[in-house]
Amino acid sequence: MSFVPGQPVTAVVQRIEIQKLCQGENLILGFSIGGGIDQDPGQNPFSEDKSDKGIYVTRITPGGPAEVAGLRMGDKIMQVNGWDMTMVTHDQARKKLTNKREDVVRLLITRRSLEEVVKQSKGKSPQTVIEGHRATQGQQRTKHFHNC
Amino acid sequence: MEEYDIRSAASILASVKEQEERFEQLTRALEEERRNVTLQLERAILPPNPSINQPLAWQQVVMQEQSPSNATSLAMMQEPQEVVEETVTIEEDPGTPTSHVSVVTSDDGTTRRTETKVTKMVKTVTTRTVRQVPLGPDGLPLPEGSSPLSSYTDSIDRRYMKNGGERFITPQATSTLTRAYNNSYTDSYGETPESQYIRHYGLHDGYTDLTDNYGSLSRGINFRPPRYPYIPNSYRPENSYTLPIRKDDYGHVAQPQVPMGSSTVDLNRSQPERFQPEPYGLEDDRRSLGHEEEEPYELEPDYSTANRRTLPGANRGRTLREPLRDVHRVRGYPDDPIEAELIDERHPYIHGMYSAPLAQPERGSMASLDRMAGRRSPSIDSIRKDPRWRDPDLPEVIAMLGHPIDPVKSNAAAYLQHLCYENDKIKKDVRQLKGIPVLVGLLDHPKAEVHRKACGALRNISYGKDNENKVAIKNCDGIPALIRLLRKTNDMEVRELITGTLWNLSSYEPLKMVIINHGLQTMTNEVIIPHSGWEHEPNEDSKPRDAEWTTVFKNTSGCLRNVSSDGAEARRRLRECEGLVDALLHALQSAVGKKDMDNKSVENCVCIMRNLSYHVHKEVPGAERFQDPSALQPPGSVGPQRKKKDDAGCFGGKKAKGRKNGENDKNYDTLDLPKRTEPSKGFELLYQPEVVRLYLSLLTESQNYNTLEAAAGALQNLSAGQWTWSNYIRATVRKEKGLPILVELLRSDSDKVVRAVAIALRNLSIDRRNKDLIGSYAMRDLVSNLPSGQQRPAKNLEEDTVVAILNTIHEIVTDSSENARSLIQAQAIEKLVAINRTSQSARETKAASHVLQTVWSYKELRNTLTKDGWNKSHFQPAVTATPKATKNGKPGYDDTTLPLMEKNQDGYSTIDQRDKDCKYKTDDSLADLTEREPLKNDTNRKHYIRSNRPAVSLVDACDVKPQPVDSWV
Repeated sequence: MSFVPGQPVTAVVQRIEIQKLCQGENLILGFSIGGGIDQDPGQNPFSEDKSDKGIYVTRITPGGPAEVAGLRMGDKIMQVNGWDMTMVTHDQARKKLTNKREDVVRLLITRRSLEEVVKQSKGKSPQTVIEGHRATQGQQRTKHFHNC
Repeated sequence: MEEYDIRSAASILASVKEQEERFEQLTRALEEERRNVTLQLERAILPPNPSINQPLAWQQVVMQEQSPSNATSLAMMQEPQEVVEETVTIEEDPGTPTSHVSVVTSDDGTTRRTETKVTKMVKTVTTRTVRQVPLGPDGLPLPEGSSPLSSYTDSIDRRYMKNGGERFITPQATSTLTRAYNNSYTDSYGETPESQYIRHYGLHDGYTDLTDNYGSLSRGINFRPPRYPYIPNSYRPENSYTLPIRKDDYGHVAQPQVPMGSSTVDLNRSQPERFQPEPYGLEDDRRSLGHEEEEPYELEPDYSTANRRTLPGANRGRTLREPLRDVHRVRGYPDDPIEAELIDERHPYIHGMYSAPLAQPERGSMASLDRMAGRRSPSIDSIRKDPRWRDPDLPEVIAMLGHPIDPVKSNAAAYLQHLCYENDKIKKDVRQLKGIPVLVGLLDHPKAEVHRKACGALRNISYGKDNENKVAIKNCDGIPALIRLLRKTNDMEVRELITGTLWNLSSYEPLKMVIINHGLQTMTNEVIIPHSGWEHEPNEDSKPRDAEWTTVFKNTSGCLRNVSSDGAEARRRLRECEGLVDALLHALQSAVGKKDMDNKSVENCVCIMRNLSYHVHKEVPGAERFQDPSALQPPGSVGPQRKKKDDAGCFGGKKAKGRKNGENDKNYDTLDLPKRTEPSKGFELLYQPEVVRLYLSLLTESQNYNTLEAAAGALQNLSAGQWTWSNYIRATVRKEKGLPILVELLRSDSDKVVRAVAIALRNLSIDRRNKDLIGSYAMRDLVSNLPSGQQRPAKNLEEDTVVAILNTIHEIVTDSSENARSLIQAQAIEKLVAINRTSQSARETKAASHVLQTVWSYKELRNTLTKDGWNKSHFQPAVTATPKATKNGKPGYDDTTLPLMEKNQDGYSTIDQRDKDCKYKTDDSLADLTEREPLKNDTNRKHYIRSNRPAVSLVDACDVKPQPVDSWV
């Protein structure tokens, strides 16, 4: 999952829709971002490739809108409401996210785990069982007679 | 689940048979009646003779009463449907202050699974309720329980009016059989007040947007003793649910106002003033019946009489409470001559019959019976196609969840479950329509049928990739509600549904801790412990119980398996959950004992054990007491007193023949084991030597790749630590002859098994004896998994696996020229060089390069290598080798297979280790290596960010003020 500026990016992305939360006068999303083309990519603790100048989620407020929506620390933000985020300055990204006229933000994010899921490759030790979903047999319709 | 299937299948079969019998009885009775009536009719038509008619009417009334039927009999004979229907039958008799409401709902099982042998088609009937609001004369709903006669009948009238009005639609529509029946009582009513009449009304408000898979006979024939149509308590007016009426359905509502004469008046006169029969479905029936069957219905005129007769009353009633549009609907028909004409054309008999009126009651009953009998068999198909029937739409179904009648609730929930099955769109819609909180609310419903169905719906909704559904369940406190119900219910099916739902929910990371917080101990106490067979204080007399691989156990263990991967805190909670580890171990031992190791429950248990074994040496309370000072010494310091040949037998037992067990035991004892004064329990069991044998048994016997991977992963985790127990585990694996078992699994077809085993071997080789043995006996199998240049081996292992194997090989040849020699003998150099030069994978290239450099570093081997045609250039890093690693001063192992995480916080920094441990030319110290391997983690982000790559300091990001700009949004 490396992102070379100017090169097409192939990534497994997930859509995340965050409903902003009204906090005082501000609408907040409940996460912080790092990165941007004006930032030192080597400082980015989340990118696998230290040259990546993308926007990353650096912190998440527990219980905040972003967490509820499923955003996670380390997610790389690809788009915000359709706007590209892979080649923007830190401040541009922040402004797109904090547009006061929008109370819903739709993100396109990617994260390593998504890639891994796709690759079906799994980690060694504590392993998330993504296949944990239960195939329900819920369909079984049984006959019931109710006589009241 | 299967037991339930069989049971319910049997009961369905039984009840279907019973219904069939009743139906047949009824059919016979009706047939007889029909003949009877036809005879009478013929007589009556010719010369109207009142003196004869009257007795006949009576006779028929009697026949009605004798008809062995009830509302359910017909209702259950319907075809398989996908809907749930409820028919509300009200019998009323204005003279008698009692009443009866019969709710007939059937749900269906269609043909279901073949093994159930249910061949009878059963069907779901959609809940269609009609407003049953007893209204007072003021038009307000009557208070519950109070039903003054006058207001009561009034409300019935109006209700009927409404229903009748709503259901008149397409003239060509077929009507259901029961409506024909309704006619009978209506007509006979006036003359025989003591005779019963039944009103069936469903919500067939004339919806025309029907799907043809819907149909119902449920408005069956009802012959019931005269009763006062009292509304039971459950019908609270304010809760009554009415399907919304769609305006566009009213297009052709019309009540044929067939011109009729005096009979109307007569009839009205004969009726008690307060009771105004309304034209409930009569025209409808007549039209459709006449049309469809093309039978001369002599009684048609009579129906129209009834209609007209009732109209005024109905209108009167409606003015009190019905919207105006109903008036239009009811009155619209006469204004529409075309419609009227159509009807008339279609029913040529109508006009003819007007001139030959019969006694009202007689004709009424006769007609109804006639139709009844005539329609019996064809009705099913035709009803199915009745375009006025439709499935309730989603908002309606969700609204029905709040219906005051419990069966309606449960049927609505069951229908939702059906709708949601593998339909993500519907699930989303249910969520957006706020159906989930209602379903969750029903979990606390006292009736099993209701919470069962609600749970079933939630299980389907919670399944799938759309995590928002899961979040929605969580957000309305669904998880504690499920746990509450789990504690409360003994119904196995409900328990399966609950645990299945929890399993589904547990697949979403943010919910894992919630599940742990609310349900861990309950799931353990209610399911895991009882089904595992483990007993807290075993009765010494009784045999230990075996585990039962029930669905509930499978679901619950699956749920715990998922939540166990939620990081250190989750692991801590699970480890400290009383009885959990004990029960899991017991269950696994039981599985080994019974040689039943391939099932999903075992897989789940092993995965939980594997996850809980992760980082035990750092995370369990008191772990520091066992930190092994010798662990900081170079590997091999463990058990150096043993002679090499003592252990050689572990591989294949070539040298084992002459050895006595006592020797083994002695060696065993020479390990400095932590001494225990009492039996281990709880999380201590995770790393006791006994588990090694358990995992090895699983590795030997199980055919389940996931189980194999997890068992190997558990050994990998346990052999990774820097404490006394891991030393002991590593030695125990050898003592238990586990190394050959692991090596054997290197030949597995499963990529992930090979990978887990390779990494386990790497950790095990921290033990010097193990390293020698693995070098001697495992090298060929390791090498055979490597690709030959660009050509992948047959198995086509993933990059991760290849890198893991290369790293394991590197570990084995490091500090052991003997093993390096084995590597050469295994024809590995050619492969390694090929990978180094031509692999498309930078990680593979790098890993292969490290091995080659290490091999070349043994000067004593260079001679051999040169003889084989290799030279130094082959052992140099390929030109294309990634410069990045060296640039970072960290040309060590590719640590993408060694993920990261939790190293810094634990103080096991690679850098620290490297500084201390200079003997490793490549900077991957052993200690580091052992720490990293098991660290390979899930996709857990919070581990991920602990990556200790030099350029990244997560500590900075998290604990210190981050240097990079970081903005909250």
